[in-house]
Amino acid sequence: MTTNISFLLNGDEITCDIQDHWTLLHLLREEMGLIGTKEGCGNGECGACTVIVDKLAVNSCLFLAIEADKKNIETIEGLASRDGSLHPLQQSFVDNGGIQCGFCSPGMIMSSKALLDENPDADQEEIKHALAGNICRCTGYIPIFESVEAAKKLVAENKGGQND
Amino acid sequence: MTNSNKDLTRDFSVVGKPIPKLDAAQKAMGRAEYIQDIKMPGMLYGKILYSKFAHANIIKIDTSKAKALPGVYAVLTGEDVPKKMKMGFYKDNPPIKKGKVCSFRDEVAAVAAKTPEIAKKALDLIEIEYEELEGVFDPEKAMEKDSPLVHEYHKSNVLKLPWSLHYGDVEKARKDAAFVVEGRFSTTWVTHCCMGTSGALAIFDANDNLTIYSNTQIPSLAQKDFLEALKTMGLSNKRVRVIKPIIGGGFGSKLDTYAYEHIAILLAHTCRKPVKIVFDRQEEFTATSTRQPTIIDIEQGCDKDGKLLFRDIKMILDNGAHTSWGATTPSVMMMPITSLYRVENVRYDAKCVYTNNTYSQAMRGYGNPQATFAIESNIDMLAQKAGIDPIEFRRINRNHPGDITPQDFKITSCGLDLCLDAAEKQLRKNYSKEKGVGIGVASLIHVGGGARIYKSDGCGALLKMDDYAKVDIFTGGTDMGQGLDNITAQIVAEELGLLVEDINVVHSDTDVCPWDVGAHASRSTFVAGNAALGAAKKVKKKILEFGSKILDAPPEDLVLKDRLIFVPNDPEKSMPLDKLLRKAHFSPGGTMLMADHFYDPANENMGKDFKGNMSMTYTFGVHGVKVKVDEETGKVEVLEYVAAHDVGQAINPLLLEGQVYGGVVMGLGYALSEEVVHKNGKNMNANFRDYKLFTAKDAVKITAPVLETPDKDGPFGAKGIGEPGCVPTAPAVANAIYDAIGVRIKDLPITPEKVLAAIKKRDE
Amino acid sequence: MKPFKYLSPTTIEEAISFFGEHSQTSKYMAGGTDVIVKVKEGLMEPDFLISLKNIEEMSSLHKNEATGELFIGALVTHAVLEKSLMIQNQYPIIYDAVSNIGSLQVRNMGTIGGNLINAVPSADGAIPLIALDGVALLHGPDGERSCEVKDLFIAPYETILKPGEILKKITIPPQVPLTGSAYMKFGRRAAMELPLIGIGVLLTLDDDLKTCKKARICLGVAAPTPIRALKAEKFLTGKEINEEILIEAGNIAAEESKVRDSVRGQAWHRKEMIRVHVKRMGLKCLEIIKNGA
Repeated sequence: MTTNISFLLNGDEITCDIQDHWTLLHLLREEMGLIGTKEGCGNGECGACTVIVDKLAVNSCLFLAIEADKKNIETIEGLASRDGSLHPLQQSFVDNGGIQCGFCSPGMIMSSKALLDENPDADQEEIKHALAGNICRCTGYIPIFESVEAAKKLVAENKGGQND
Repeated sequence: MTNSNKDLTRDFSVVGKPIPKLDAAQKAMGRAEYIQDIKMPGMLYGKILYSKFAHANIIKIDTSKAKALPGVYAVLTGEDVPKKMKMGFYKDNPPIKKGKVCSFRDEVAAVAAKTPEIAKKALDLIEIEYEELEGVFDPEKAMEKDSPLVHEYHKSNVLKLPWSLHYGDVEKARKDAAFVVEGRFSTTWVTHCCMGTSGALAIFDANDNLTIYSNTQIPSLAQKDFLEALKTMGLSNKRVRVIKPIIGGGFGSKLDTYAYEHIAILLAHTCRKPVKIVFDRQEEFTATSTRQPTIIDIEQGCDKDGKLLFRDIKMILDNGAHTSWGATTPSVMMMPITSLYRVENVRYDAKCVYTNNTYSQAMRGYGNPQATFAIESNIDMLAQKAGIDPIEFRRINRNHPGDITPQDFKITSCGLDLCLDAAEKQLRKNYSKEKGVGIGVASLIHVGGGARIYKSDGCGALLKMDDYAKVDIFTGGTDMGQGLDNITAQIVAEELGLLVEDINVVHSDTDVCPWDVGAHASRSTFVAGNAALGAAKKVKKKILEFGSKILDAPPEDLVLKDRLIFVPNDPEKSMPLDKLLRKAHFSPGGTMLMADHFYDPANENMGKDFKGNMSMTYTFGVHGVKVKVDEETGKVEVLEYVAAHDVGQAINPLLLEGQVYGGVVMGLGYALSEEVVHKNGKNMNANFRDYKLFTAKDAVKITAPVLETPDKDGPFGAKGIGEPGCVPTAPAVANAIYDAIGVRIKDLPITPEKVLAAIKKRDE
Repeated sequence: MKPFKYLSPTTIEEAISFFGEHSQTSKYMAGGTDVIVKVKEGLMEPDFLISLKNIEEMSSLHKNEATGELFIGALVTHAVLEKSLMIQNQYPIIYDAVSNIGSLQVRNMGTIGGNLINAVPSADGAIPLIALDGVALLHGPDGERSCEVKDLFIAPYETILKPGEILKKITIPPQVPLTGSAYMKFGRRAAMELPLIGIGVLLTLDDDLKTCKKARICLGVAAPTPIRALKAEKFLTGKEINEEILIEAGNIAAEESKVRDSVRGQAWHRKEMIRVHVKRMGLKCLEIIKNGA
């Protein structure tokens, strides 16, 4: 039950054979070696495996790899620029103490990215609503909210720069 | 070793700065490798089969079908485990059980296979015949004479542990007291919920030396356990290398060695291949240890002016079926019991009782949250009875610098008064009493300068500098996300006049790092920090001696700062540090700078009477909370939270806040939402849906005033702060609820059901 | 996870024919947030997983402005409903329910149809659709049939759907003026909850803005399947609505519920929560009506 699929992964065109029952998480981690996406529960209850599929944050542990066919997939590995500089969200999570043990961080950052891509002015309540499916045991969430707030400003400044 | 007063007051370049966590960028990029991410050529996957019953005899195990499954390399049962391989300080726990199982968590078999799927399938093919036995799940029932015995050879369900002390004269004090209040409090199982599940990867080389990657907070003590395990396997005089990869949280869960580690070792040795065992989430809930549940009877009394006269506590601890560090939490519970506030007459008696439940372990705060829940709830009840404002009552009885407590704890720095002021100020700001709204506080004492619970409380550090003035420091300390890597780097950079990026901190590998007792007891900043500082001081002395020759100036005039060595206000006498180091290296009889330092704090093991200054210094704090209670539903909403801590000197305020916020939210979960539900020993909520961790939407506003009372023994004046955040949370919440609606909840967690039931009782 | 063959029909007819070929070993899947968990846990072991995701006609959400009917394709995700301004403004009870199902990640995948067919006693998605007198359109090997959403459920995890039958869409009849509706999920946390109890109330008032013309009180986790509190509804109908009357309705609803003790919550407390929230949701309905009138 092998199927050939093609999709966009962090901007790269990928064509590969997959097993129908593989989850996207399995494909990324075990077959492609992209270990940035984490498995925290395997049941869609913790958000550690969050990736973005066609602009929507989803749990890659519940998303079948076969359904990635013809889709645009973004994972944590695709956020930093090719020159190595961090995405504003990554930078502000680093700077604001949004990361301790780091296991929830890739998923937390991807959820934040999906939110800010759609709603760059998200307020506190919207941030909490968007991140409610990402469990963090280390930070008490406060530094994470601060990180997203700071990233909002960075993103706005970057956009401003591009427009000039 | 102590710092001079000059150190405590000087302006710092690196210490005290909110420098982001050194490994945060690689974590943010998804590049950090956890046990889940590590693979070895030829690696097999191990899986464990657990008991189907809480208490049963194993009549027969048939592994033939599992062994015949293609891709299976080994199937082990209790028969394959060396007789002397037992875990835990009480040595009552073999990694795979034989003859009898005593809890659902008991391991009955294990498999190594080519893929995780095959291993799982093999578990399903193992046939076991059990004879179910009557179980006991209530520690009070387990103490009764006719109770089933969890371990027949032990003759009784009560463990032979010495947890009993009596200082002063409690009976006399009770007679003298103007006000006495008693209460029965209880706390249940909660669990660490590390986002990265537990796991270990064991590899033997051709000479039977073991390398084990494991999620551990105790590389050195784990090495000792595994050396002993190898000995039971007939492998004497072998080497064990413990490497802790980056871990997805610790919180005390990894302070012992576990069955999965021993089983990985056994499987790896049987198969002669690397074997990795990683828990799935359900296993993480069912097969790792919890916080120690307790039943606490407390009585405290004061005189007519509110002076605390005595504290009398009896405690029953549900030990579960086997023994780990949960059973020794009374040794730390003694700390708040004897030493939170001035109280001369203290009695404490604790019994640990075997049941067919899961067994407990260390968890952030290590017994202190349970004891403080009872003490600080009961203090509010006593203050009320005495007609004294609860904050004022605490001021009357607060500890002072220079105090020696009944347990012989020497209080050095103590900012409890400052914390009370700060918490009260924040809490009463703009506060006016409304219906259903209330405020409450609770204080804490915790070890802040190590904790001598093992023969050594030490930590070693090795430091070397290269030709470019870069430092590699190898510390015994363990970073598990809390930020010891930063603390170490900041301390070393400060001492040597370097920048944080000049310091490479190597930790958690027993082949290259010196010994350390483990990341526990909020000790790493203090102990590992002092070890690093000691090594840096030795190197600094050498730098200054050599610099004195090169720059022709007395060593005491030389300053190391901004990667330079110089005499202030003398531009002639200045040189980049790397240049100086190269001069030292590339000259006749050349030298390279290296130093080692082993710091073992001058704290004391407790004597038979449990007296002894366990820690070099103690951390104090006061938490205040404002809640709103919905009197129709029983739901408690936290409106505001203030957590004031006396931290000595903050080495890194960003990480410090992170510890406090994280601790408080963990504490709020303990207070309001979290519980592992067991029904006749079976875990009923082994998932994140039903185990109620706070989500982002439940997060609360927290203010965290940091009171700096530099400690003379701490590195640059610092004290420990890893655990205090979750210590007084539950009683602060319970006190606020009482203030809001006049009901006292004495059983954690404080669920809407319990609150509403209490309201109905109140209104009867 | 046991291997399976993934099939991706683009029409309902094709899906049904795939199912017909291997009816014993096939399972339909919508968003997958329940099915994949069940397959992972071995509770479901299909050889063929028939995804309905590519059936376009099942994915549309639209309102017929002429008739006032609302059509919700079974594959419409919770997130699409949550983000729809039309749902937010005109069907607040649906918004209340779907915006708090699981996490945003789950809502981005999970569908309203999947939520109904999963038939858990707590199905957040079912309560508002029952309150709104929703009608489910089913399509199976023997053609189409429809039933009220309230009649879909037989027992926990069991619906009236026959083998091979697919829930195609839900039709919500036109909303009568002077109607208000609200849903409350009661749980221990603010998110990621299965409700301890779910309470949906819909009230339609007479032109006097006082008398109750129609009442719907729908409860989740109050019985093995989502239920309507018919006695309480009957009690309210024709009465002048005020807080006392709503309290009484709450009492009646609580008594006619069949709440149970479980690991998640105790029966007596669930009953209390029905009392309290029937009142609260009823008051919220009045407020919505008054703000709209």
